[in-house]
Amino acid sequence: MRRTSALLLCALLFCAIAGAWIIDKAQEEAFIAKRRNWWSFQKPVRPELPSVNDRWIRTPIDALILEALRAKNLKPSPPLDKEHLIRRVTLDLTGLPPTPGEVDNFLADKSPGAYEKLIDRLIASPQYGERWALRWLDVVRYADTNGYELDVLRPQAWRYRDYIVASFNHDKPYDQFIKEQIAGDELFPGNKEALIATGFHRAGPIHLVGGNQDEEANRQEFVSEMAGAIGSVFMGVTVGCAKCHNHKFDPITQADYYRLQAIFGATEAKDVEIATPEQRTAYEQAIKDYKERLKPIEERIAAIEKPYRFQLQAKKKAALDPKLREALDVPKEMRTPEQQRLAKDAESQVGVVWDEVLEVMPAEERAKRAELRKKLHAIELTEPAPLPAAYAVQHLQKPLETHILKIGDAHNKLDLVEPGIPTIFASDNGRVGSDNRRAALATWLASPDNPLTARVMVNRIWQFRMGTGIVGTPNDFGRLGLPPSNQKLLDWLATEFVAKGWSVKTIDRMIVTSNVYLQSTVPTPGARTLDPENKFYGRMNHRRLEGEAIRDSILAVSGKLNPRMGGDPVRVPIEKEIYDLIFSEAEPDNLWPLLADENEYYRRSLYLMNKRTVRLPLLANFDQPDTMTSCPMRPVSTHALQALSLMNSDFMHRQSIFFAQLLASQCGSGSDCQVRRAYKLALSRLPKPNELKMARDFLSANGLMEDFCLALLNRNEFVYIP
Amino acid sequence: MNSSIFRNGLHIPSALTRRDVLRGAAHGFGALALQQLLARDGLAKQRVNPLAAKKAHFEGKAKSVIFLFMVGAPSHVDTFDPKPALKRYQGQQLPASFGKVESQFTKGDDPLLPSPWEFKNYGQCGMPVSSLFPHIAQCVDDICFIRNFYTESVVHAPAMYQVHTGRILMGYPSLGSWVTYGLGSESENLPGYVVMPQPEGTPEGGTPCWGAGFLPAVYQGTLLRSGASPILNLQPPEGMTPQRQRATLDLLQKMNDLDTAENDSEMAARISSYELAFRMQSHAPEAVDLSKESEATKKSYGLDQKHTIDFGTRCLLARRMVERGVRFVQLYSGGGPVSMQWDAHKDLVANHEKMCGLTDQPVAALLKDLKQRGLLDSTLVIWGSEFGRLPMSQSGNGRDHNPHGFTMWFAGGGVKGGQVIGDTDEFGLNAVDGNHMRNFHATILHALGLEQFQLWYLHNGRQEKLTDFGGTVIKEVFA
Repeated sequence: MRRTSALLLCALLFCAIAGAWIIDKAQEEAFIAKRRNWWSFQKPVRPELPSVNDRWIRTPIDALILEALRAKNLKPSPPLDKEHLIRRVTLDLTGLPPTPGEVDNFLADKSPGAYEKLIDRLIASPQYGERWALRWLDVVRYADTNGYELDVLRPQAWRYRDYIVASFNHDKPYDQFIKEQIAGDELFPGNKEALIATGFHRAGPIHLVGGNQDEEANRQEFVSEMAGAIGSVFMGVTVGCAKCHNHKFDPITQADYYRLQAIFGATEAKDVEIATPEQRTAYEQAIKDYKERLKPIEERIAAIEKPYRFQLQAKKKAALDPKLREALDVPKEMRTPEQQRLAKDAESQVGVVWDEVLEVMPAEERAKRAELRKKLHAIELTEPAPLPAAYAVQHLQKPLETHILKIGDAHNKLDLVEPGIPTIFASDNGRVGSDNRRAALATWLASPDNPLTARVMVNRIWQFRMGTGIVGTPNDFGRLGLPPSNQKLLDWLATEFVAKGWSVKTIDRMIVTSNVYLQSTVPTPGARTLDPENKFYGRMNHRRLEGEAIRDSILAVSGKLNPRMGGDPVRVPIEKEIYDLIFSEAEPDNLWPLLADENEYYRRSLYLMNKRTVRLPLLANFDQPDTMTSCPMRPVSTHALQALSLMNSDFMHRQSIFFAQLLASQCGSGSDCQVRRAYKLALSRLPKPNELKMARDFLSANGLMEDFCLALLNRNEFVYIP
Repeated sequence: MNSSIFRNGLHIPSALTRRDVLRGAAHGFGALALQQLLARDGLAKQRVNPLAAKKAHFEGKAKSVIFLFMVGAPSHVDTFDPKPALKRYQGQQLPASFGKVESQFTKGDDPLLPSPWEFKNYGQCGMPVSSLFPHIAQCVDDICFIRNFYTESVVHAPAMYQVHTGRILMGYPSLGSWVTYGLGSESENLPGYVVMPQPEGTPEGGTPCWGAGFLPAVYQGTLLRSGASPILNLQPPEGMTPQRQRATLDLLQKMNDLDTAENDSEMAARISSYELAFRMQSHAPEAVDLSKESEATKKSYGLDQKHTIDFGTRCLLARRMVERGVRFVQLYSGGGPVSMQWDAHKDLVANHEKMCGLTDQPVAALLKDLKQRGLLDSTLVIWGSEFGRLPMSQSGNGRDHNPHGFTMWFAGGGVKGGQVIGDTDEFGLNAVDGNHMRNFHATILHALGLEQFQLWYLHNGRQEKLTDFGGTVIKEVFA
């Protein structure tokens, strides 16, 4: 029965839905024709704005929202007060809480444009791009390592992360942003930034392992990752679902899927050096010096190990099957083919690994060796940074052929296909030639005529600021996705986006200056029953901060945040239990080297080493995605392990102490002053009388200020956006 | 599972409030004070336990699972699947009719290697087991061996992912995550899904083997160790006294109550999570404290012997977890350095005698202990690995990976013991009418009363399921 059930099932599917055993254009057209009318495949038409006259309306968005609310007999919620508003919008746009000074200034500014001024400042701040990057990197499943068992570091991948931060900060037009990431090398030759942008195609996991390689299966995995990402990230269509059969719901045939793959038939992964000659000269010297510094220590370690290795090897040799030993004793060049085979087996059998050596070594030698290893690792921390390279893709001189694959099996090839965009968008698939295939794809995606691109992105912006998308499934605008809760709003935003030069900041600003955004989270009477899921946005959604933003906020409040931007990913101290999870067959004594400068541990979470198989508990417990598949929207789960990491971890205790020290330095010993200051720093407001009393009671019963700080940082109000 | 909130993959706690109100009075450290406080202030609100037990789709015999995973792949032809033909063909090449058999390191041209161990028949069923597993051999009447499983990669990590998550790719929810997503947990004071890796190191597949994938983090496996702090960050750091901690927690919960409006289930869930955490703080150390176990029990698990103490302790902990209502226990033998894995590329004899020696007695003790306590009927015990090993040799005296056919076994949880299902060919290379991991998973879900197609989660436009497009429940497994 092996695999036959799979075959049978797929065979049935093929028969049932006009499959693509052999490409039959007429059948394909018929298949698509039946599904062509789905709303998201029609180009958005800019809707007329409703002629509602209401003081509530500040922006066109408000008019469209109010129209929808009224149709459901709903009313908007009252606006948030100014104190909470600055906290909300600062957390939203920067991922950090406002400082007490920023709050005071905003409260003092009674001018009519005070809020707009605030927005201008926040959108211009460099933290704006960092905030956006966190979201974008979720969607493109970015990490600093390959994943799978070896999970090797990608030493140059961070340049793509920094490119994303800079792009959002510079309000790079989204059409250009697409073109650079998909085809930066083809469309902007010689432009380093555009080359780095193509790291997009390599953001996902890749399985690299030793031994015999199935090159075709490896290549198929690589191409599938790239093609799937185009669908999820830019198109909002689950094209990957058409890998084994025609899409079950959307107008994408299996041939269409492989046409998309064929676009990458001329693409290969490549780290392209972008160093200057001076950098190269300096690097060559530095690496030479570095190796010289390692050498004496390596030699001393080898000298300690030598007698034991020898002894172990001799013992293993003595235990060899006589035939194998004989073969091994024959000089290499004189061995018969049979002896060559036996000698190879013999060599493998007498091999010695590190833990065997340590096992037979006397304790004092082991200690000496361990000391030397420490010295070695200290030197290794000073290893010169590799020469700058773009973690990129490039054009393959000899393009590879692409076939439709039966059930997606790399070894089961059906018809040959040419590169092309899905048939529903161009009946001749003819816009993609043989050269610059990705450029053609990018140009098509970045076109104002594309029915999906602008909608998908404005929906992401909206979801980012409002908590849920107008389309609740941001990576899937197809039939299995959720329908838009307000298509007029979506289409108005999409057309506005294109009309305003694909400016993300413009749409972002319009959303956060709309009255819909300014609403409180408290539902109006009846709203909970009439609109339990808040599909019509008659209130602001409750939104929990991501683990990263919680950590960053804690650092900001304790005064420890190191705002340095960009560069190599940083390792922070991890618990022994987490260290032990790093897979290694080699000696596990230096798997997580830490920089000596403690300030580096207090960088924003965006810059922490994102290792696919080793997740930091504080972040992972708060639903940080695993970076294996595109994550358009993080799940929000609430469970006991979050409480344990936020109450008991070393990180939290240290930060509470720093926080308490900061309060003492600002207030002296006056505990009321400290409590007020703590509220202002952590919650952006002063305590209410009952809260002040609670704090006083706690402190007068011998409670410590650092424990008060810990409680405050665990509070619901701290981890939820107002 | 059909609430629209589940469909969207959104806020899990709010979905749970409606049906999964925390049962019974809150008790334990911190929570008690809060309970009194809330009662006094008339603020008692709905409390939410995101892992509260849920009803199965139908009545399943098994209530919990212990999955014993042997990292690196034990050889089936040397343990549970005897192949006398290997002796007859010793030293010869695999017949050409088998085609080219490429594994991770070998190309299929090494000679056939007979098993160095003798097989004898055991139990009333007369089940053949090799001399490597003298203790497990005593339990065969409770065990159902399935000899025709196969996986689809010759490489450890992808094959491990397939056994744990159903796919050879990283990033899919693990079996334990699906089960706790479907059933919650009977334990209110312990995590619902615990994991005990080999102390020397992690399996090749690493944390994704017990990860929640795209499911919410509440369904991830939680590492569990013996000792005073069995769960990461369970205890406050040194210097924080219980009194201080209690006062801090009470202050926090009082403040949280100010932040929580009537009917605000999400905030209520957060308050509950602190109560749960602090119940865990007092219950988890007790749950891993073996001092109350009788000497006879400890001895039976091999806690008195150097080679069995580690795995024996973890097996005993597994029983204690199941006793306390933990839904899923994932236990690993092997991990880290090559010498601590079942990965016998060379010197099969030394490797398997060591690894079997570490685990044989503890595994048998676990089965007997569960049975004696009346827990075996409701506990599904699974023994298995990512693949088996080739009938040909590697390096002269070892074996390379064989995903094409290998043995795993089930016991307890409604399983009919003393039987063999399926077979491999005469050399043990290929499964005959093989069982895919989809069937393996469908069968496990079935034992628990879960219907594979009803257990799904919408992710990136797909209703993702453990068994993808569906497996076949191996019905013969059950009594």
